[in-house]
Amino acid sequence: MSSGAASQSAISVAELSKYYGRLLAVKDLNLEVFQGESFGFLGLNGAGKTTTIRILLDLLRPSSGKASVLGKDCQLDGLKVRSHVGYLPGELGFYGDMTGRETLDFLARLCRQAVQRGYRQQLQDRLELSSADLHRKLREYSTGMKRKLGLIQAFQGDPMLLILDEPTEGLDPLMQEALYALLVEVQKRGRTVFMSSHVLSEVERVCDRIALLRQGEVVLLSTVDEVRSMAARRVRVVFENDVEYLAGRLPAGSQLIESQPRQWKLQVHGPLGPLLSTLKELPVKDLEVQESHLEDILMKYYREGTQ
Amino acid sequence: MSLALILLIHSLKRVRYLVIVMGLLLAGFQVVLTLVARSIQRSNAFDEITALIPDFMRQLMGPSVVGLMSFSGIVCVGYFHIAVMGSLVGITIGLATEPAGEIETGFMDLILSRPLARPWVITRSIMVLAICTLFMLAMMMLGTWAGLHWLAPRDAEWPTPSLIRSLAINLGALMLCWGGVTLAISSLARRRSVAGSLAGLLALSTFLLDYVARAWQPAEKIAWLSPFRYYNPLDLVMGKAIPAHHLWVLVGIASAGAGAAYYFFSRRDI
Repeated sequence: MSSGAASQSAISVAELSKYYGRLLAVKDLNLEVFQGESFGFLGLNGAGKTTTIRILLDLLRPSSGKASVLGKDCQLDGLKVRSHVGYLPGELGFYGDMTGRETLDFLARLCRQAVQRGYRQQLQDRLELSSADLHRKLREYSTGMKRKLGLIQAFQGDPMLLILDEPTEGLDPLMQEALYALLVEVQKRGRTVFMSSHVLSEVERVCDRIALLRQGEVVLLSTVDEVRSMAARRVRVVFENDVEYLAGRLPAGSQLIESQPRQWKLQVHGPLGPLLSTLKELPVKDLEVQESHLEDILMKYYREGTQ
Repeated sequence: MSLALILLIHSLKRVRYLVIVMGLLLAGFQVVLTLVARSIQRSNAFDEITALIPDFMRQLMGPSVVGLMSFSGIVCVGYFHIAVMGSLVGITIGLATEPAGEIETGFMDLILSRPLARPWVITRSIMVLAICTLFMLAMMMLGTWAGLHWLAPRDAEWPTPSLIRSLAINLGALMLCWGGVTLAISSLARRRSVAGSLAGLLALSTFLLDYVARAWQPAEKIAWLSPFRYYNPLDLVMGKAIPAHHLWVLVGIASAGAGAAYYFFSRRDI
């Protein structure tokens, strides 16, 4: 998160709930996303991510609570809100008989801000959607090409806030890389990114903060670094000679998972310092530390929800 | 350019081929009817054809059968032939279900994520309906005019321009009425097929109600519910003026439908 812009909120959600008939999709959601921040909105299918996003865009009306974007109420001041937002829906609905260029031009005209042709061309180049592709009818597009077109239409107005619903769905690994780079770049220019995903590795890579939604409720709201620190690191220690494991030798926070005469596999919560002090007295030949992943901790939350 | 105009142009572009082809077919049908009327006129067969009409049909049609069995009457059939009315009401229903179609495909998400107020979507559909209705009626009138100028025998009595105009206005009001009703249904629906089917079913049942009520007295009590009751082309062919209240009823239903569409669409979840 760029520290200078951290004070103003790009998205603010207070006590937001949404019912579909009797089904509660979002329950008393409170959330604040700061300007210039890249925010990951995580959750399993049906957790309420898309519902929240659609309320922000005034496509859905909340049952209770309030949502505002860039200081403006999403329902009462929706037009002003949406003039600063670029949106990529989770499921893209294009007309097959329109060409890519016609679609982009039409959607650009519906934005109040002028679209810079140069910027659009740059987006096309980075996402590898050529001008020849744009002259083809959309019915001839593959899923990945439609996704690229969806991304270009969301980015082309260079909006203050990008709301992306599962942005890498259907993109090949190279294009995912191109998108990550693009997201980092727009964030550097002070734009805010709010993206929903269930691909933990991409959120870990792109986002500053995350919120984990489970059955319509936020069960975790934290920075990526904090979450990562909550997860245990795996450490493999290889010894020169046989070493006998003695219970109570390991410092607090370290736990032996597997023990062989010349190798230990450990799980370490918190800093590695105490473990290194202990290992100093032993004939260590090699040490391998596996960084903790968001996945390790988030999976626990996901599993708790399904039990 | 205003956002509503951009939306309107986009929709008109999408339906242009359908509407143009439909207009040409309708115009062609008017020419064909003039050809048929000329053929009957030349063989002096109007009386023979009238004699072939069964008694119950004559009773059903009343004195208008005389007006219909003339050169002028046959030329005017194109404005109330069941195939023409069915096609026009069908295409109107198709056009008015555009909002439901856009929601179904997900295109509405892209449109409404722009700074565009929801009522403009309905305004756009109303304008599309009005423009397409005007175009198709104009094509029909053009077909009638061309047919009469090219094909009418010298001794034939042409339908007056005011009769053609009255038929077209009344037919246009009927189309707009169904446009309004369909738009109201479409503003609530998530699927185009559901909105279209419901509107189509309603149109068919009210058409049958009107038809049955003309022959079966008990149905007459509820026949006022049918919009088709307010389109009486045979009366117009007989030389009567359009009853103003009929037009008001049709335009009233169209307006109520459009009003309901604005209301529902502004409040619904997309």
